[in-house]
Amino acid sequence: MALRGYAWLVVALSIPAFVWLVPTIWMVSLSFQPNEVLARTTSSTALGLVPVPFTAQNYADLFAFGQTPWWFMNSVIVALGMTLGVLAVSTTAGYALARLDFPYKGPIAVLCLIGLMVPEQAVFIPLYTMFADFGWHNSYHALILPRMAVPIGVFLMMQFFRAIPKDIEEAARLDGVGWLQIFWYVMLPLARPAMMTLAILTFLYAWNDYLWPLVSAQQREYFTITLGLASIQSNFAQSEGLGRVMASGVIASLPVVLLFLIFQRYVVQAMTAGGSKG
Amino acid sequence: MVNAHRKRPSLGQVQAAWVLMLPFLAVYGLFLVYPFFRGIWISLHDWNLLAVAFNPEAKEFVGVDNYVRVMWGRNIVWGPLASPVLQAAGIFGLGLAILLRRMNQVSRSTAIAIGLAALLLLVLPGFHPGEGGRWYDRRFWPTVGNTLVFVALTVPGVTITALILAAALARETRAMAVLRTLFFLSQVLSVTVVTLIWQIMFSPRQGLIANVTQLFGGTPINWLTDEQFAMAAIVIATIWWSLGIAMILFLAGLQDISKDLYEAAALDHATGARAFWHITLPNLQRTITLVIILQIILHFQVFGQSHLMTQGGPNDETQVLVRYIYQTAFRDSELGRASAMAVFLFVIMGAFSTLQFLAGREKD
Repeated sequence: MALRGYAWLVVALSIPAFVWLVPTIWMVSLSFQPNEVLARTTSSTALGLVPVPFTAQNYADLFAFGQTPWWFMNSVIVALGMTLGVLAVSTTAGYALARLDFPYKGPIAVLCLIGLMVPEQAVFIPLYTMFADFGWHNSYHALILPRMAVPIGVFLMMQFFRAIPKDIEEAARLDGVGWLQIFWYVMLPLARPAMMTLAILTFLYAWNDYLWPLVSAQQREYFTITLGLASIQSNFAQSEGLGRVMASGVIASLPVVLLFLIFQRYVVQAMTAGGSKG
Repeated sequence: MVNAHRKRPSLGQVQAAWVLMLPFLAVYGLFLVYPFFRGIWISLHDWNLLAVAFNPEAKEFVGVDNYVRVMWGRNIVWGPLASPVLQAAGIFGLGLAILLRRMNQVSRSTAIAIGLAALLLLVLPGFHPGEGGRWYDRRFWPTVGNTLVFVALTVPGVTITALILAAALARETRAMAVLRTLFFLSQVLSVTVVTLIWQIMFSPRQGLIANVTQLFGGTPINWLTDEQFAMAAIVIATIWWSLGIAMILFLAGLQDISKDLYEAAALDHATGARAFWHITLPNLQRTITLVIILQIILHFQVFGQSHLMTQGGPNDETQVLVRYIYQTAFRDSELGRASAMAVFLFVIMGAFSTLQFLAGREKD
C-alpha cells in the first residue's frame, strides 16, 4: 500500500518535471534542426521536441564563423580568473578573521558584513566611472576585479575555519611553526571542501553575470558568452538563423550544466550559501 | 643563506593577520566601499556621463536636487483616498501583521516585515499631484510600481511551487533525487539563456506555446507585446528559472523537522495534506520567512528578463527599476539622476537585508 502510494507520487511528479524540462529540451532540439526548416515551422516532429530532420550544421557553422567560440574563451578566462582571485582573497581574510587576533578586528568584520547588503546594481555606476578614469574598460581585469570585493567568500571561509578544532593549530604553534605556514600547510588543505563550494559559487556567478559585463565590455572582443548571447538574440531569426542562435545557447549553458551534473552536491551547497547570505 | 632563512623569526600574530587581510581589504575598499560612497557623491551632482568624460570639471553640485527630480513633483499632495485599493490593502496588511503576531502565528521579524510593507502601502500611494501639479519624472513611480507587481507575482509563485515540490520530493530515493535534479537544472542557466529560450517559447509565430494553442484550435497570444500578458510572460520565465534555490532551501529546512512528529501525527491519522498543513508548515516557518525575504531581494533587482524579453514594453508595462537606472545612466548619460535612483534601490535592499539578517539569527 505504502509502495503503491510512493509509485503514484513518482509518476505524478514526473509530469511536472517533464513540463519543467520542456523549454530546455526544445532549445537543444531546435539547435539540431536545419535553419531552412525552422524558418517555416518550429514544430516539425512532436512539436519540435525531437530534432527530426536532424543536422549538426548549426554547430559546425558556429565554430566556423561567428564569435561564439571567442566569447566562450573570454568567459573561461574571466570565470577562472575571478574564481582564483576570490579564493585567494577570501581564504586569507577568512582565516585571519576566524582565528587571529589583531587590532580593529571587530569593526573590520562588521564593515565586511555591511558590505553584504550592497547590491551590484547600487555600485555599478560609480564603478563604471572609476574604471573609465583608469582606462580599464574592455579588459579581462575590468570584468574580474569588482566581484573580488564582494565579501560573501570571506564569510563562507570564516565560518568554515571557525568550525575547525583549535588543537591542530596549537600543536603546530608549540612546534614553532609560523602563522603563515600554519595557514598554508595546515589550514588550506583542510579547507578544500569549503574552497570547492566557494569556487563553484564564484564560477557560476562569473559565467552567468550579465549587468557588469554589459556596461564594462563594449567591444565585442571582450564580450563574455552570456553577454554575446544577449547581443545576438534580439534579431535571431533574420541574422543568423534560429538554429544557430539556439546552438549558441546550448554551448553557453554546457559548462554550467556539466558542472552542476558532476558536482551537484557542491553546486547545491554553493547556491544555498550564496542564496541565503547574499 | 639557507641557515639565515631558517632562522628568520616568523611573523607575530598581528603582522600575520594584516598580511592575510591586506589583499581583501585592498579590493574591498577600492571596488566596494569607495564606489558606494562615490555613488552617493555622484547622486548629489549634475553629472553627464559624456561631458564629464571629456572634462572632469563639467559636473555641478546640486545637493538633493536629483532626488527631488526623480521622486517629487510640482504641487504634490497627500490624500488618504488617492489610491484606495492599495491603501486599503495597506490597512488590511497592518491589521494582519498585528493580529498574527498577537496570536503568535508568525515570528517577530515576519510581523515587522509585513507591517512595514503594509505601512508603506498605506502611506506612499497617498502622494499624488494636486491640481495643476505633476511628477517631475513621470516614469519613476510607475516603474517602481511595475517592479513591485513583478515581485508580488513572482515571490508567491516561486515560494508556493517550491514548497509543494520540496514537501513531495523530500525522500531519499533514487527517483526523487533525479526529479530534484530536473527541477533544479534551469537554475544554473544564465539569464540570457533563459530569455533566449522564453522569447521563442512565447513567440506567436514560432513559439511552442503558440503551437500547442493552435493544436487545440486556439488563437496564439502575442505574449511579449500584449500589455495584458507581457508582465505575466516575464513572471513565468522567472518562476521557471529561479524555483531551484527556493526548493533546495525548503528541502534543507525539511530535513531539520523530526521524523517523530510525522509518526506521532500518523497515529492521529494525519498524513499527506493534513500532515503538511499541521506539521510541515508550522515547523518550516523560519525557512519560509528567509526564502520570502531572499526572493524579494533577488527579484526586486530584476533586469535581464525585462531588458531582453520585452525591452520594458509594451508601453512601459514591464519597465523595472534597475532597467530604468541602466537607461538613465547609459542611454541618457544622466549619471546623477541614475545614482539617486540607485541609492533609492540600495535603501530598499538594505531594509530587506537587515530583516534577512535578523530572521536568520532568530531561533524558534
